[in-house]
Amino acid sequence: MNRVFDPPRLARLLVSWEIGSSVGRQFVVEAKRDGAEFIEAEHMLLALAASADSEAAKLLHEFGLDHKRLVAALRAERRQTLAFVGMTATDTKLGEATERDGPPSLGTSAKVAVRRALIGSRHDRRRARLRGTDLLAGILEAEFGTVPRALAIAGIDRAALLSRARGSE
Amino acid sequence: MTSNPSPVGGPADGLAAASALRAIADRLEDAEVERAMRAGWSWSQVAEALGVTRQAVHKKHLRRLLMAQIELRRRNNE
Repeated sequence: MNRVFDPPRLARLLVSWEIGSSVGRQFVVEAKRDGAEFIEAEHMLLALAASADSEAAKLLHEFGLDHKRLVAALRAERRQTLAFVGMTATDTKLGEATERDGPPSLGTSAKVAVRRALIGSRHDRRRARLRGTDLLAGILEAEFGTVPRALAIAGIDRAALLSRARGSE
Repeated sequence: MTSNPSPVGGPADGLAAASALRAIADRLEDAEVERAMRAGWSWSQVAEALGVTRQAVHKKHLRRLLMAQIELRRRNNE
């Protein structure tokens, strides 16, 4: 299963997705905007929402989720998480550090989402073809972590959204 | 005990907080190691302050600090 995560294979998958490699570039944009060291599932979700004409973005929109609403949901999740230890977002303002060179690599939640997308999709394995909705489903399968927390706090029916993502043609 | 715990509230909030604090600690370390090295601290001093080995701090931060074009102290000057 680890071969799924080697960079050349992942790059081929990205290029073969319905929304192409631009979504892969958007992963990096979203991770960097978040100041994150790794691309995580929430950055992939934001990237899918940002690709306005894709099936994944249309489906998210049906559930009231565009990029802006997702950002707000993730902020609300962050607030609730930090509140557990008596902190606010202001408490986490730290000194600036020079960024590491090169694009951030995939974090654990992102790798798991890709793996789940591949396992659950009906993609053509010979051509390693994967759709944006497959990745969306892979992201939505997570029961714990930042994405399901943000969706729960925002009152989004994750199970219904997952069902639609898996069933979409 | 429940077989289908919620992703929010209870232990889920605590676990999410632990994960968030780990990321915050990593960012804080990046920023403060850079600040110390800009101020002329040695690798050994930074390592001792962090409670890790010189090798560990070197491995983790050298590439980034070189990118930041910080003048690093050589070992024989420490």
